[in-house]
Amino acid sequence: MREFQVCSRCVMDTTDSKIVFDSNGVCDHCLDFDQNTKPNWHTDERGRAQLQAIVEKIKKDGEGRDFDCIMGMSGGADSSYLLHVAVKDFGLRPLVFHVDGGWNSQIAVNNINVMIEKLGLDLYTEVINWEEMKAFQLAYFRAGVPNIDVPQDHAFVATLYNFADKYNIKYILNGGNISTEVVRNPLDWLYYGTDMRQIGAIRKQFCDDPLETYPFSSVLRHKLYLRYVKRVQVIKPLNYFPYIKEEAMQLLADEYGWQPYPQKHFESRFTKFYEGYWLPRKFGFDTRKVQYSSLILTEQMTRQEALEKLSKPAISDEEARHDFEYIATKLDISVDTLQEYFDQPNKSHRDYPNQETMYNIGAKILKYIGVERSIKR
Amino acid sequence: MITIVDYGLGNIKAFANVYKRLNIDCCYAKDVSALSRASKIILPGVGAFDHAMDKLNKSGLRDCLDELVLDKKVPVMGICVGMQMMADASDEGVADGLSWIKGRVRRFSYENEKIAQACPLPHMGWNNIQPQVGSALLHGLDEAKRFYFLHSYYFDAADAASVVATANYGIDYACLVNRDNIYGIQCHPEKSHHNGVALLNNFANL
Amino acid sequence: MLLPRIIPVLLVHKNGLVKTVNFKDHKYVGDPINAVKIFNEKEADELIVIDIDATVDQRPPNYKLIENLATECRMPLCYGGGIKTIEQAEKILALGVEKVAVSSLFFEAPALLEELASRVGGQSVVVVLDVKKRMLSKKYDCYINNAKKNLKLCVFEMAKKAEQLGVGELVINSIDNDGLMKGYDIELISQVKSQVNIPVTAVGGAGSYQDIQTLTEKMPVIGAAAGSLFVFKGKYRAVLINYPTAAEKNSILKAFN
Repeated sequence: MREFQVCSRCVMDTTDSKIVFDSNGVCDHCLDFDQNTKPNWHTDERGRAQLQAIVEKIKKDGEGRDFDCIMGMSGGADSSYLLHVAVKDFGLRPLVFHVDGGWNSQIAVNNINVMIEKLGLDLYTEVINWEEMKAFQLAYFRAGVPNIDVPQDHAFVATLYNFADKYNIKYILNGGNISTEVVRNPLDWLYYGTDMRQIGAIRKQFCDDPLETYPFSSVLRHKLYLRYVKRVQVIKPLNYFPYIKEEAMQLLADEYGWQPYPQKHFESRFTKFYEGYWLPRKFGFDTRKVQYSSLILTEQMTRQEALEKLSKPAISDEEARHDFEYIATKLDISVDTLQEYFDQPNKSHRDYPNQETMYNIGAKILKYIGVERSIKR
Repeated sequence: MITIVDYGLGNIKAFANVYKRLNIDCCYAKDVSALSRASKIILPGVGAFDHAMDKLNKSGLRDCLDELVLDKKVPVMGICVGMQMMADASDEGVADGLSWIKGRVRRFSYENEKIAQACPLPHMGWNNIQPQVGSALLHGLDEAKRFYFLHSYYFDAADAASVVATANYGIDYACLVNRDNIYGIQCHPEKSHHNGVALLNNFANL
Repeated sequence: MLLPRIIPVLLVHKNGLVKTVNFKDHKYVGDPINAVKIFNEKEADELIVIDIDATVDQRPPNYKLIENLATECRMPLCYGGGIKTIEQAEKILALGVEKVAVSSLFFEAPALLEELASRVGGQSVVVVLDVKKRMLSKKYDCYINNAKKNLKLCVFEMAKKAEQLGVGELVINSIDNDGLMKGYDIELISQVKSQVNIPVTAVGGAGSYQDIQTLTEKMPVIGAAAGSLFVFKGKYRAVLINYPTAAEKNSILKAFN
């Protein structure tokens, strides 16, 4: 057993089993940021000019159409701020696309509502059939792997790409960003939600519903076919100008009546439970470490502040108890059954058939050709 | 523990849901042994006055309830018909009330045709309450103090001093009454969102 | 002062929520439990949930679902669908529900309904009348079985009859306006209201907060219920649960402030 160690610069630690420290006790996430990300990350005039050029192209290609691009919206801070900037600062006309996985919080629907109302945009919602989503989520619980959010995650990604493909939409705006997400969740914590071999194996073994309408999309299709054959481009505008999360949330609250929420991803009731309770309590993986470490590296939080926050659980015991009950009720199982899932032995994505090797090769290629700067591991 | 009198009437589960969410222990009492352990009592009630009195009298809980409330001064809150039962009698029937707070339950009736037209019965929906005196039950309510009402009869208190808050539906009438440890409320705090939750929390903290 | 009630109506079909247009063309809008939880957090005045399959499939209400929904409600909940006996109604009320709504039972067994109202109190019993205007006529007919069966009974007479049975509330559902989002049938509602002196709730046709405002300013004591308005957004009818905020409600009901 490895001795517990926390990075001396960020708050990642040995609960990330593949973490490596240098002689100063600085972890590989930090070094990766310094060496690969930071030198290529331009949020000054240079970045803005680059983005402006992209925007001009999007606008030109979109002339005469109802909208010139599409963006997925969860109601969280990243996508909300992106929408604000895209429309107000850059004059884009996105179709706002929302996927309802059955776990929207009041905050999520409020935030989507106020933004589209105030910006005068059109919304398109795809509602995933709940009976299927439920069966699929239960399959992941039974499988015992850490990433039980795959059924939601995969649906969000697949639905958006399927829609873009069907309606020949060439530009997808994405809220992914370096500023708050530069440190990535280790694969052991959150394995790829697009690994179709893994999904197929877990479905076959644990899912009692044929999932006839649930949207699937393999990574090969949306990363290769759609991007390089259909020329669908994914743009991450938040990387081209300063994105300071606190300031962004304040602006959204002031201008739109947008409601803040306590932690990244908590706009989904399920993800709140999953990242705030299930993952830390069952597996010892606290995704706040990843989030705070990103904010430390991008100078939006001090290490001290992060450590203080981490000393308390993300969700209080009382709240966890209520959430536990709600999750069970919603999934139509008893609290005892959910507890059984919690108590069963922890599995890893490696315990089931997977395509990790293919992902690793793909990641190396993407890094080699400069599409990705750092490697998720 | 907060104990909800379970004599077969009223939406008792709704109270338990609120207290559970507030992390306050509460239980139902169907028999004397459960009731006698109560540190606070909630007396729910819906439907007809006589039916409710009859049910309570036949539940076997009546004596224990009188003793806890009148002798041991255990705080009690009657809700809707549970409040009306605390009066001496009701226009709705012939049964005797609990006579815990002096007064009679009357049906809304309006001589003025226009007001009668404007006030269909039951009085149903969200109305604001107007505090007449300070009360610990009303701490932390918002400015508008809106609660959900659903009733056709109201508590006409004999002693104005027992009226804590009024509501208006064609007339001003008592919607919250109090004497010593005894509280009665006409509206439904268990179904009144944040104000109702605050009031039930206040009762738990009395 | 008593405010008009602004009430989302949710239709349950095959365990999911749907929204219809003229009682047809079911569009799936998601899962009932999360929807109710969101409406609760938005502090809706009241909620009406109708299981549109139960009576047609001749099966009893889904008690488990009703209980789960009631658990999330810090507001009055009205449930309808498949209620055929007093025992069923009492069982539902015991699950944490305030009101039970019936439609076909009212026509099939009025005596039973009268007994139900006297047992549980009229305030807990609601009659839903699904109403369609007769072609080239001023008459409105009552329908049952999701607007499939015309009973050829006059809505105004039926409204009076329901009041006489001791029912506490009438929900008047316009089949013609359902899902069109072009406004309530004000004429229909005001005529019903003039016939009875119990609370009336209008549903069918609300497409904007303005529609609610128009209705409530004409008829101050009213339930303004809506389906589409509170689940759809914009020209693509995107599913997004919404409900007026406290400030928006104040503005809709400004005549009452």
